[in-house]
Amino acid sequence: MSIHRSSSNEAIKHLVLIIGALIVILPFYVMLSYSMKSPREIETNTGGFFGAQAPMIDEYCVKLGKTPEECTTIPIIFNYTEAFKKAPLLRYLFNGVFVTLSIFLIQALISLPAAYALSKLRWLGRDTVFALVLFSLLIPVHAIALPLYIMLAKVGLVNTYAALIVPWTISVFGIFLMRQFFRTVPDDLIDAARLDGMTEYSIVWRVMLPTAIPALLAFAIFSVVAHWNDYFWPRVVITGNRDLFTPPLGLREFKGDADGSAWGPMMATATIIVTPLIVAFLLAQKKFVEGITLTGMK
Amino acid sequence: MPDALSRYPHQGIAIGLVAPAMVLMVVILFVPILIAFLLSFTSYSLGSEQLNWVGLDNYRKVFSKSTYQKMFSSTLLYVAVVVPVSVGLGLGASLLIHSLKFGQNLYKTIFFLPVMAALLAMAIAWEFALHPTIGIINHTLSAGCESNGWYSFATGSWYGNDVSTSWYGRGCEKGFPLWLGNKDYAMWTIAFIGIWQAFGFNMVLYLAGLSSISPELYHSAEIDGARSAWSRFRLVTWPMLGPTTVFVLTITLIRSFQVFDTVEALTSGGPVKSTYVMMYAIFEKAIKHNLVGIGAAITVVFLSFVMLITLIQRWLVDRRVHYA
Repeated sequence: MSIHRSSSNEAIKHLVLIIGALIVILPFYVMLSYSMKSPREIETNTGGFFGAQAPMIDEYCVKLGKTPEECTTIPIIFNYTEAFKKAPLLRYLFNGVFVTLSIFLIQALISLPAAYALSKLRWLGRDTVFALVLFSLLIPVHAIALPLYIMLAKVGLVNTYAALIVPWTISVFGIFLMRQFFRTVPDDLIDAARLDGMTEYSIVWRVMLPTAIPALLAFAIFSVVAHWNDYFWPRVVITGNRDLFTPPLGLREFKGDADGSAWGPMMATATIIVTPLIVAFLLAQKKFVEGITLTGMK
Repeated sequence: MPDALSRYPHQGIAIGLVAPAMVLMVVILFVPILIAFLLSFTSYSLGSEQLNWVGLDNYRKVFSKSTYQKMFSSTLLYVAVVVPVSVGLGLGASLLIHSLKFGQNLYKTIFFLPVMAALLAMAIAWEFALHPTIGIINHTLSAGCESNGWYSFATGSWYGNDVSTSWYGRGCEKGFPLWLGNKDYAMWTIAFIGIWQAFGFNMVLYLAGLSSISPELYHSAEIDGARSAWSRFRLVTWPMLGPTTVFVLTITLIRSFQVFDTVEALTSGGPVKSTYVMMYAIFEKAIKHNLVGIGAAITVVFLSFVMLITLIQRWLVDRRVHYA
C-alpha cells in the first residue's frame, strides 16, 4: 500500500517537473526550429521541428543575376550562411571573445595581488581597505552606467574596445572571493617561499596562484558568462560602430531591420550566440553551477 | 619609526599590491556615484560646456511627472511579481527535485539552461513564441478552441459557466492577446520572461541549501512529533533554509530592479509606457535623448533603492536569521 502510494507520488512529482521543463525549453525549441525552417514554414507555422527542408530559391541571389539552379539551397543551410553573410557575425564573435577574455585577465591581474595583501600581509590601513571592498560590493556597475558613460565620453573613449572593457576591470567581488580563499592557504607555504628568497610579487604569482586555480576557475566562469551575455553595457557605449559590436549587439541590430524573410537567419544567429556557453555548461555542469552561484558563497 | 617598520615589515609592498585595485575602485565605482549625485542637480547634457544648477528640479520632476510615476509603478510591478514567484518556484522546484529517486540531474540541468543563455537572444525567441498570429503559443491556444473536451474544461462551460465570461472563451471568439503589444499584458509578459530566466538560479542555491541539512534534524523532529511532511518542512527545512532565502531574495530583488534587456528589445518601454522600467528610463532619457540631469536623478534614486536592500540583507544576515 505505502509503496504504491509513494510511487504514485513520485509520478506526480515527475509530471509537474516535466510540465515545468517543457515551458523552460519552449524558447530554445522555437529558436532552434526557426533556425532550420524556410520563411514560408515560419509564417504558416508548419513543418514541425525540423521543417521539410524542401529546396528553396534564394531570391536575393537571383537578383544578383545568377541562374535559379545556382541559387537553389535548403532552408537550414540558407539560414546559417545568411547569418554570417547579412552581418559580420564572425567579427562580432571575435569581439565577444576578445572583450570577455580581456575583462577576465585584467580582473585576475588586479585582484590577486590585492587579495594576497588583504589576506596574508600585515600592514597599516588593511582593515580600512577591506571595509571599502565590502562597501563596493553594494554597487552594481549597471546602476552607475550613466556617470561612467559621461566619463568615457569626456575622455573620448566611447566606441572603443576600452569602453567595453575598462569599467569591468575592477572586480571587488573577485578580490573578496580570492581573499577568502587565500586565507585558507597555510602561512608555512609563504614563509618557505620567503626563505627561498622569493619576492612578495613572485609569491603572488608562483605560490598563491597555483593553489587558487579551482577558485579562479569558478570566478572565470562567473565572469565570462556575465560578460558574454551582457547586452546593456555594450548597448550604452557602442553607438553604431559595427566593428565593435559584441554578439548580443549584432543580434539586436539584426532584429531591428529584420522582415519576415530574415527570421530564420536571425534565429540562426541567436543559436550561434547561445550555443558555446550551453555546450560548455553541459560538458562541465558542476563547475558551471559552482561558478554561477559563486555569489551564494558570501 | 623603527618600531612600526618591525611590526609591519611589508607595509610598502602591501600598498604596492593593493594600489592598482584601489585606484580603479575609486575611479570606476566611487567617482561615478559622486558625479551622478552632482549631475542630478544640473540640467547638463553631453556637449554643452557649462553646468546649469537647477537645484532639486530634476527630483521634483521624477517624483511628480506622470511618465516617472509610470516608471516607478511598472518597475515595482515587475519586482513585486518576479521576486516572490521566481523565489517560490525556485524553492518548489528544489524541494521536488531533492525528493526524487531518479532524474534529479536532468531536471536541474534543464532548469538551469535559461541562466546560461544570453537573455537578449532568448527574449527574441520568446517574442516569436508569443507572436500574436504565427507564434506557437497563440497557435496552440486557438487550436484548443476546436477540441470540445478541452474547450469546455478551459471555459468552464462543463459546469454551466457562460462561455463569454471566461478568459479562454473570449480568446476563442475574439482572438488571443497580443501579449507584448497590449498594455494590460505587456508588463506581465516581460515579468514572465524574467521569472523564466531567474528561477533556475534560485533553485540551484536552494538545492545546495537542502543538501546541507543534516538528516538527523528530521529524525529528531519526527521524534518530537512532526509526522506530516508539512510540519517537517515548517519545523526543519524552512528555518534551515533561512540564510539561503535571505540571500536569494536579495540577489533576485537587485537583479529585477535592473531589468533592461527584455524591455529594450521587445517593447521599448511601451505600449503607453506600461513597461517603462527604471534602467530603460535612464537609458532612454540620458543616453538616447541626452537629458543627463534627469537620468542622473533617476540613477541616484535607483542606487539608493539597491543599496538600501543590500544593507537590509546584511543586517538580517548579521542577526543570523532563522525564521523560527
